[in-house]
Amino acid sequence: MDGRQIMTADEIRRAIIRISHELVEKQAGTDGLVLVGIQRRGVPLAHRIAAAVEEHEGVTLPVGALDITFYRDDLSLIAHQPVVKGTQLPVDLNGRTVVLVDDVLYTGRTIRAAMDALVDFGRPRAIRLAVLVDRGHRELPIRADHVGKNVPTSSDEVVEVALVEIDGEDAVRIERVDVPAPTA
Amino acid sequence: MNASRIPTPPDVAWQQKHLLDVDVLSLAEIQLVMRTTDAMKEVLARPISKVPALRGTNVTILFYEASTRTRVSFEVAAKNLSADVVNIAASSSSVTKGESLVDTIRTVEALGADMIVMRHGTSGAPYLAAEVFSGSILNGGDGWHAHPSQALLDLYTMRAHLGDVRGKKVVILGDVLHSRVARSNVWSLTAAGADLWICGPTTILRGFDTWAGRWASGGAPGHVGFTVTSDVGAALRDADVVMALRLQRERMDAGLLPSLREYAARFGLTRERLAVAKPAALVMHPGPMNEGVEIAPDVAVLDRSVITEQVTNGVAVRMALLYLLAGGHPEAVTNA
Amino acid sequence: MPDLRVGKMVPLLEISRAWLVDPVGEREGPGEVVVRDGILEAVTWLQGAEADGIGPDGVLVLPGFLDIHVHLREPGNEDAETVASGLAAAAHGGFTTVCAMPNTTPAADEPGVFARVAGAAATSGSPVELLLHGAITVGRGGERLAALGELADAGAVGFSDDGSPVKSAIILRNALLYAGMLGLPIVEHAEDVTLTAGAEANEGLVATILGLKGWPAAAEISAVERAIAILDSVRADAPGARLHLTHLSTAGALDAVRRAKAAGLPVTCDVTPHHLGFTDEWVAGARRWAWEALDGAGTARDPWADGALVARPYATACRVNPPLRGAVDAAACLASLIDGTADAVVTDHAPHTAVDKETEFGLAAHGISGVELAFGVLLAAVAAGRLPLARAVAALTVGPAAVLGARPGRRGAARGLVEGEPADLVVVDAGDRWRVTADALASRGKNTPLLGRELPGRVLLTVAQGRLAYRDVAGDASGS
Repeated sequence: MDGRQIMTADEIRRAIIRISHELVEKQAGTDGLVLVGIQRRGVPLAHRIAAAVEEHEGVTLPVGALDITFYRDDLSLIAHQPVVKGTQLPVDLNGRTVVLVDDVLYTGRTIRAAMDALVDFGRPRAIRLAVLVDRGHRELPIRADHVGKNVPTSSDEVVEVALVEIDGEDAVRIERVDVPAPTA
Repeated sequence: MNASRIPTPPDVAWQQKHLLDVDVLSLAEIQLVMRTTDAMKEVLARPISKVPALRGTNVTILFYEASTRTRVSFEVAAKNLSADVVNIAASSSSVTKGESLVDTIRTVEALGADMIVMRHGTSGAPYLAAEVFSGSILNGGDGWHAHPSQALLDLYTMRAHLGDVRGKKVVILGDVLHSRVARSNVWSLTAAGADLWICGPTTILRGFDTWAGRWASGGAPGHVGFTVTSDVGAALRDADVVMALRLQRERMDAGLLPSLREYAARFGLTRERLAVAKPAALVMHPGPMNEGVEIAPDVAVLDRSVITEQVTNGVAVRMALLYLLAGGHPEAVTNA
Repeated sequence: MPDLRVGKMVPLLEISRAWLVDPVGEREGPGEVVVRDGILEAVTWLQGAEADGIGPDGVLVLPGFLDIHVHLREPGNEDAETVASGLAAAAHGGFTTVCAMPNTTPAADEPGVFARVAGAAATSGSPVELLLHGAITVGRGGERLAALGELADAGAVGFSDDGSPVKSAIILRNALLYAGMLGLPIVEHAEDVTLTAGAEANEGLVATILGLKGWPAAAEISAVERAIAILDSVRADAPGARLHLTHLSTAGALDAVRRAKAAGLPVTCDVTPHHLGFTDEWVAGARRWAWEALDGAGTARDPWADGALVARPYATACRVNPPLRGAVDAAACLASLIDGTADAVVTDHAPHTAVDKETEFGLAAHGISGVELAFGVLLAAVAAGRLPLARAVAALTVGPAAVLGARPGRRGAARGLVEGEPADLVVVDAGDRWRVTADALASRGKNTPLLGRELPGRVLLTVAQGRLAYRDVAGDASGS
């Protein structure tokens, strides 16, 4: 994608390190913390945050992956066939503090679906949210506890996060798209 | 995640509005069903094995033939996805009472059905329903013709044990003439590249020899050929999978077979017959079984019998199909 | 003749520079005809430079067609067809004479039903001549002989239980004997019903894949062989006995007739446009002509392998008795027309209501509405180089006339372009095509798998017994 770059690989790396520190500080330690990445790009981000925590705390946090496809409220609106990536949760969530990790926070609907999915697996003590980019335009009363970068956008722009694990490079770009005329 | 803005990925596979048979599915689509079934298996393993994917979707289960297993399997699948389920047991006598299938489908639609799972005794009936109904039709079995969800759960079960079935010897043993399971399995297994053998007495193989002969040098694009024989020993030798089919008592009345006893003696799946298959050969049966006729009771309970696993996988496959059909058809996206 | 209405005498019609086919004179070529006051006044064959540029791919002038096998559904099922709508459909198809089958409700097993049908024909105002077959057995029940003699006196041209075979061999034998005494043919629907109970589609690849119960060719072949054997056994007692086997659909049955004819037996047979033009592939959703479904070696192709499936499967418009067969059998039907084994083409026009067809394949009524489409199907075979035009015309005119044993002097018996006789002809633009739609069909039965498809050969004008039977209002009916 040729859009305007808003975060470089270095900036992404620093944002993850900062988030890893905030997490520990807010929890006053690492006890009971679980990182759960939302498929797809939230998953490598969760692993990176866990690695950063391990580096400065010497503690290995459990990391899970959550597929929220079955919890979306817009199944019939998804312009392509949803591809289910799968959910793997390594520990019992009861009584834990779950940190949901995603790449971009936008309308909040993904996070709403993710919280619905999580509570089907147990009753966490708390659910927190960490995102790499908050681009605004919320449609639900949801906010992130930890944000890599706040990016003001307009609704005809797309924020694309590229990660080495999936896309072969680290970058965040913003691009204007031509919104197709609604069909009659 | 601004998913609705991401352009359609090039690897999109599912293009079906209805699922009337597996013959229209590409191998890529079959593989998508398999992957989606994996996800459904994970859902089934959760403490709360229910997800809201089809919340607000009305799935009407319209069965013109008595069936417990398949109907309940679809019902559980739909409920696991939080669909609203309406059950209609339309006895075939309502046909003679004058309400046509077309009238019934229109009525069901007016009652709010978004999807219809349909079982009918006449081959091809779902194609007529699909022409009338604005939502999706999922064929739950039509006449002798097709039973796509069964063929897909059979394939899923085989893959769970064998990995890729390409080149694996799969034997379907029994009354294929009257079997929608056999016909759908021919399509899915020849698409998946299995070495498919079909075996039974000549009276109930009729037509399949023609089919196999015509496909000997390659059949429909993307499908391999298959073998038809009445020689049970040759069919079972070194088999990786043996699937026995139900033999119905009515076949004796129609003069197709002398007796159940003779059938069991010559074509029943026994330990002795199974001895020539591979040691770990899977034993399958779409149910309901006539133990002692097409399958010996001690074979049905062997460790390598996956008959109950077929039932469990049936729910997961049907969840996958309902889910894919609910989100999959192109008309649904025009208002995005 | 812009104001001329159907049923009115044609005062003057001049058709110049057309391609004429005269199966009586066994001649075809460029020519002109003049009809004055309903009489075919002049037939002129053009020679030399005058004939330049006139070919069989332009306007054709042919004798009016004769169909000895139609179902008009009156009395009893007027929602599907009436005598009036059926005769209008016939005229649209170029037919000036049709012969109705007796499987109405009640069946035409006594003269009262004949009178009612003849009355409806008179009331319709159509100049298309309606002939009638009487039933062989009472109520077509297969048990007691119908009033054959009374039916003959009332004008029956033959006897048939069509729709069902005469199951009992002894009844078939007695019918051949008795009808032979009356000088009329037995028109047999040859089917061994013990082989076809519950059958849905021609036994073979298509039926197997679609899970439809197979309808074996042997059911027709064995019934034809049986009927021929019985015919042979009655010849000594009834020299006038004649057997006509209708809607034959298999190579085996046609071979049996070929052998019987060679042995000098008084047997005739016919084939239908759908059995020679369509195949069982159509049930699976193919729509290519039968001759396109054969490979170079003369074996049937596989529509699944070919990607030839274009329509939805299980279309009930393809459900017919006998069923659409494979491409090899269809080719045999076509070949039988060329070598003369088949004497005639009949449409087996079988109109049905939407209610009787908009249902599951296995529960749908049998039959194809075909009287308006028959010549188009034959023209497609002609255009493909599979059938000489003259054979197609003969099979719709002199062929069926000979089956009935039409004597000179009987109305429409000549089936040629004969000067001085009342004009009985059809004008077709072979170079034009038309789309088959429900609205375009005069028949109440819209049950044809050709719906929505194009056919060659637009009928411009049909004149029956000097009177206007059909005129294409959209096209330009050439002439004055």
